[in-house]
Amino acid sequence: MAIQFILCFNKQGVVRLVRWFEVCQTDTQKTQDMIVQIYRLISSRDHKHQSNFVEFSDSTKLVYKRYAGLYFVMGVDLQDEESIYLSHIHLFVEVLDAFFGNVCELDIVFNFYKAYMVMDEMFIGGEIQEISKDHLLERLSILDRLD
Amino acid sequence: MEGRRTVLNSGTSNNGTSIKGLQLFIADLRSSQHSDEHEKRIQSEIIKIKQHFESAGKKSPSGHDKIGGYQRKKYVAKLAYIYITSNTKKLKDILFGLDQTVLLMQSRFYSEKYMAYMIFELLYKHPEVISRVGDRVTQTLLKDLASNEDNFVALALNFIGVVGKLDHELALNEDVVSHVFQILRSPTSLQYLKKKSALSFLTLLKCNKAILTNDQQRKQLWIQRILSLLDDTHNYRLMLPVLPLVEYIAKNIDPGCCIRLLPQLTQILHNCVVTGTRSAGGTPFPQEFKFANVPNPWLITKIVSLLSLLIVSSTEVSNNSAQLLHPSNIDRETLGKLRMCVTRAIELGTKQCNDAMERLVLNTILFSLINFASKLDPSNEAISNSVTALCSLLSSAEINIRYLTLDSLVKLCSLNGKPAIDTVRYENLGLIFHLLNTESDSSIVRKVVDLLYTFTDADNVKVIVDELFNYISSTRRMTDPTIKSDIAVKVAILTEKYATDTNWYILVSLKLLSLTSTASLNDDEIWQRLCQIVVNNPQLHKMTCEQLVDYLYMNHASEAIVKAGAFLLAEYGNLISEKVSIGDLFNLFTDKYFIVSNITKAMILTTMIKLYRFEPRIESVVIKFFQLELNSLDIELQTRSYEYLNLIQLSKLNGDMALLDALFAPMPPFNTKSNPLLNRLGNLPSSGGSATLLDSVRPIRIEDDGANGAATTMTEKPPPPPSRQSNTALSSSTANDGPSQYSHQNLSAKWEEGFARMLSHKKGVLYTSPMLRVLYSINTVDSQPSHLKIALTYVNQAEWDIKGLSTEFFASKIGNNPEYVLQNIGAPSAIEILPHKRAEQSIEAVVRKPFSVNDSPIIKIYFSCGGSSNSVVLKLAVGLTSTMLTDNRNSSITPLQFVTRWRKLREALGEEGEFTLDNINVRRRKSRTPGNKSEIDFITQSIVRLGFDVAQQSNIGNTLFLAGIIHTKSDGNFGCLMKIKYDDGPGLVSITCKTTSPGPLAKYIVECVKHVMTN
Repeated sequence: MAIQFILCFNKQGVVRLVRWFEVCQTDTQKTQDMIVQIYRLISSRDHKHQSNFVEFSDSTKLVYKRYAGLYFVMGVDLQDEESIYLSHIHLFVEVLDAFFGNVCELDIVFNFYKAYMVMDEMFIGGEIQEISKDHLLERLSILDRLD
Repeated sequence: MEGRRTVLNSGTSNNGTSIKGLQLFIADLRSSQHSDEHEKRIQSEIIKIKQHFESAGKKSPSGHDKIGGYQRKKYVAKLAYIYITSNTKKLKDILFGLDQTVLLMQSRFYSEKYMAYMIFELLYKHPEVISRVGDRVTQTLLKDLASNEDNFVALALNFIGVVGKLDHELALNEDVVSHVFQILRSPTSLQYLKKKSALSFLTLLKCNKAILTNDQQRKQLWIQRILSLLDDTHNYRLMLPVLPLVEYIAKNIDPGCCIRLLPQLTQILHNCVVTGTRSAGGTPFPQEFKFANVPNPWLITKIVSLLSLLIVSSTEVSNNSAQLLHPSNIDRETLGKLRMCVTRAIELGTKQCNDAMERLVLNTILFSLINFASKLDPSNEAISNSVTALCSLLSSAEINIRYLTLDSLVKLCSLNGKPAIDTVRYENLGLIFHLLNTESDSSIVRKVVDLLYTFTDADNVKVIVDELFNYISSTRRMTDPTIKSDIAVKVAILTEKYATDTNWYILVSLKLLSLTSTASLNDDEIWQRLCQIVVNNPQLHKMTCEQLVDYLYMNHASEAIVKAGAFLLAEYGNLISEKVSIGDLFNLFTDKYFIVSNITKAMILTTMIKLYRFEPRIESVVIKFFQLELNSLDIELQTRSYEYLNLIQLSKLNGDMALLDALFAPMPPFNTKSNPLLNRLGNLPSSGGSATLLDSVRPIRIEDDGANGAATTMTEKPPPPPSRQSNTALSSSTANDGPSQYSHQNLSAKWEEGFARMLSHKKGVLYTSPMLRVLYSINTVDSQPSHLKIALTYVNQAEWDIKGLSTEFFASKIGNNPEYVLQNIGAPSAIEILPHKRAEQSIEAVVRKPFSVNDSPIIKIYFSCGGSSNSVVLKLAVGLTSTMLTDNRNSSITPLQFVTRWRKLREALGEEGEFTLDNINVRRRKSRTPGNKSEIDFITQSIVRLGFDVAQQSNIGNTLFLAGIIHTKSDGNFGCLMKIKYDDGPGLVSITCKTTSPGPLAKYIVECVKHVMTN
């Protein structure tokens, strides 16, 4: 009952953000293979006629959503309720959007460490810890300005 | 370098975290299109950074930091970018920077520290990083946890929450654990840090449960602290991260400890779902906790998920659920509120709304609560209505909603059984078939198949199997092969389970085998299962063989058919010799031999020799065949051919088939009890039906066909909940299990005063402190004196609100014929008590048998007040003397009657049933007694108050002669006689008690009386 990992990649499959809350694969090569499999699975799906949920393995299902050129993916336990994670993703993107001001892929590329800061303020230990956008943005702007 | 820094920074105002050098580097990399150019740029940067770090590594004589924080941050950030942009491939190339990153982590500047933490959060994924710097990182981490700088503490907590599972040492580090817990529990911690620490602590706990389970006392105390974080039912912000922690504790550490939170959680849920969505009136739900204009779905799903854990529905009662709640044990008000939440969620989820996000959120709430509703003992009508509401969403235009609806229906059908299933299959089957044939998303198809699977039974098995067949055999769509295999397995299980006609079973199974593609390897289990069943059911032998031959003569018989054929025809081929001769069968398999895999070939070799046993006349062709295969490249085929060839020659030498007959005796029935295919269902709940005609252990009895089919019931009867199994089992909402729980309680100071008062008075003060006062009153009905109704009143004595009031009751014994049971425990009438206001609670104690008053039930009261979390543990005096009737003044016993009875008892029982206690000091009491009554009068007064009948006499002034009747529910009533002798000089009392029953009863009564007199 928690997020196993958060993944963000573009349409070409280049990873932009990744966070593992569980040990999914210890081997670096296998981790990369797993990301490639996830990318293939998700990019092969039609985003108009197919749902935002897909089973990935015996222990993981993926909840994902595409925003412009970026896919945001969360790997969750099989018995978890998918829809709340879709809300997680949506909120995360909304906060990124407000924090960067109309976020685009380049913002995340150039300011990857700030994108991680947003992620850290929202997700700890595979759980969401704050959902008020105003609070998050206030907090983030303070942290962003600290020396 | 320093100069460059100022130049670059001049343009970026005060933004401390902007790193121009990094931005330039990234821009540079992005502009180099060719991969070798890109690579060159990275390598040159790495070399440059390495040089800087190396020169910094050499100790400068002045101890001056050569690089400086900003530069270090910049270089480390560049390495991080290289790591990310190379898709982690360049890990090895950047490991040299770890030492500098550790230094960066020790910086006094937030932005520098943050960068180091962020990078370790990324790199901790790799064990080699942890082994290199883990110890040093943990040291710095501990410093930051203890720091006065809140932002540093926040970084450290985040770090633990992110990497806690990647570095198991953290959870074993007692310093880390206790620091995190301190932040979580301290009333002075910032809420911001508390929230983070809740999840950091959860992460640590997930890695190492022993944090709580190793030490019983710590477990109780820490869990109580954690639960008290939920006491403020309006602090939604703190609740959000605390709920998962509580859920984990309830699920994995101590399921019972959270039961008392039920009223509180219900209240929160009600605030969110019902009050929060009301358009007017009531306390509005704070806007900041809303999402897409609806109350926070996160909070709702988390509370529901915790509640679902605490409440077990009648269908899931199992042995280990004794500590959990059954809906019949939940008090009316709470249950009502929960049901109201479900109703409201259905209203919200099915109303029209245009905003996609709002729609999704409303549906999230709907699905979460509808799945939960099955825990609340819903009526059949309520279930049917939920299902109808859900089915209306199946035609939603949104794919996600169709998917979630199906998911929810699957859960509903498997949890609620017949009423849910009937509504789906009688009213919505067409719609579901339509989805199966039109959806293009394999995630949805999978759910449709799961749903069909859950409600298949003997009545609809044919329709559903046909429909599934159409789906997998249709070529017009590109279907995910794993789905095909999944459906094939389900069809196999369903046909076996629900076939009402054995022939139909064989036809369907063979058709299934003929469809399965060689691509899916797991299909072996399907034909193997079929073979087992055919072997065990002799009446199927001939018919199956005939069908198999037909399939085999078709051009493209699937490999699974060949395998099944190779096995079954080798066993029973002789049964169909009038249709196909053994020679023809041999030719048939020879044809197949060359187009199948080696495993199947090996099977066919065995088939050949078995065919030879039926018909020795095919000897020459068989020998030729084996000889040919002696040259096979496959060692297994070669060995088999060689062995079989020798067997034939041996039997020719012996001139009989004895050896072959011994080796290839008919297959004995299989005794696999359960269908191995069931293991492949994964998470899917088992389908409802239980009837099957096909028995893998015993052959089918044909005459039972009809009866068995008709007796098909949709749901297996669950075992009754513990409360219904016997009246001695857990029978109250918050009564806790087990004597260990009881004996582990540490009673609060001064508990004895209230305890003694409760024994001697029907009403009074049980406990008092500057914050809380507890009043009690005991009521009995004359017709049922063993049935004590206890009403408790909690009074807030403080100037602050009491929040999160909850109680737990512990009986000394539960189950196994206990002496008393606690039942009908109501929830406290309020969770929060304003200053000088009160809340009530009631509970019943039924005295079944005599017991010592020392085993009286224990109540534990939890509450928060003015920032502190408190618990009070008290004993509720339930004594045998409490069951005496107090208003039968008129039937006074005479001294003569007393003496006669006393003598009779002595004659009948001797010393049995008698108990004497001497030298009871009652002086303490005297000093507290105002007025001028003599001590003996006080004793008389308090004893009479208990319900004893005093024999009026004036001959012996210092002795009381008393009689009374003890009532118990199971063991009946007991008479008791008592002499109390008071010696005024030393102030000592001696009591002798005789009862109509041998055993410790007299002792128990004297104990009660002693408590009354000495306190």
